[in-house]
Amino acid sequence: MTDINVTDFLLTAIINYGALAFGVALVLGALGVPVPGTLAVIAVGGFVRQGVIDWPSAAIFGLAGAVLGDSLSYGLGRFAGDWAERRFGQSSVWQNAQTTFNRRGGAAIYLTRWLLTPIALPINLIAGGSRYPFWRFLIYDLSGEATWIVLFGGLGYAFGSQWELINQFISDFSGLLVGIVIFAGGVYGLFRYRQRKAASARREAVAPRG
Amino acid sequence: MAVKKSKGQYFTIERLIFIGLLVVGLLLMGFFGLRAARSYIRIQQTGLEPGVTDVEAIRGWMTVPYIAQAYQVPESFIFEQLDIPAEGNRKKSLRDLNREQASGNPGALTEVVKTAIRHYQAENPPTPGGDP
Repeated sequence: MTDINVTDFLLTAIINYGALAFGVALVLGALGVPVPGTLAVIAVGGFVRQGVIDWPSAAIFGLAGAVLGDSLSYGLGRFAGDWAERRFGQSSVWQNAQTTFNRRGGAAIYLTRWLLTPIALPINLIAGGSRYPFWRFLIYDLSGEATWIVLFGGLGYAFGSQWELINQFISDFSGLLVGIVIFAGGVYGLFRYRQRKAASARREAVAPRG
Repeated sequence: MAVKKSKGQYFTIERLIFIGLLVVGLLLMGFFGLRAARSYIRIQQTGLEPGVTDVEAIRGWMTVPYIAQAYQVPESFIFEQLDIPAEGNRKKSLRDLNREQASGNPGALTEVVKTAIRHYQAENPPTPGGDP
């Protein structure tokens, strides 16, 4: 059996080929290829401290790679969105989803770049599919990816050769945050559901019976 | 064929989805919460000294030039201890080198590298306060 470990392969590629390999990894990660992006950012922070990579090229290639990958997955969403628009365009649920994303999508895009990273790809696809303006997507995307690279790369730099320790904690903490967001979504949804059901019951009680 | 749902059915499906979100959210919170707590405790227990490199942190993905830079040991010295030429092996990870040189003994080359670094550092103590 061939023992191919994606993480090991990625780390070896980064120390051999530097910032370019880092940028390519982030493009692939943003497109849904299972590349450990956050680990790469933390590791590169550690490598910068060790003098293996210089920070300006790491920052430029990392940011360019992440934004390019996100833009491509936004494009995929847009392409799929055209099909969905033809199929569900008349549906009020689809229209509501588009309106909601257009109103609140910015926060979702920004936060999923660096805090809730496991759901970044679905958000890119939804943004493209719901025809969220690309220039707005790009602004939130750039800000979020810059936060990701500076914050996590900075942590890797601070922890130096022991960056692996902080990586495990961040990866688990990110999963915990996603759990909290999903749970909060359920609580909010149930709350709204009860409100609407009560309103519906009141309307039925008031309506004249025929 | 589209199934026309009554308002009551719509509400029930919606409610089930939200309850599903609560359950999935709770499961994720429990699983990752415990793992995060464990990682945090491990960080607390490890005396972190970012400027110090422990040979136990040497991993299979590392290459000889990387180890040489991180541990401030001459690359030629490590290749000499491994008894392999630098030419053609500089970009190979320790795991790949191990597979080629000592396939029946996983981790053998990593141990040689660790011993070599300990030896070198004993004879040439690293500068105090120097970054890895």
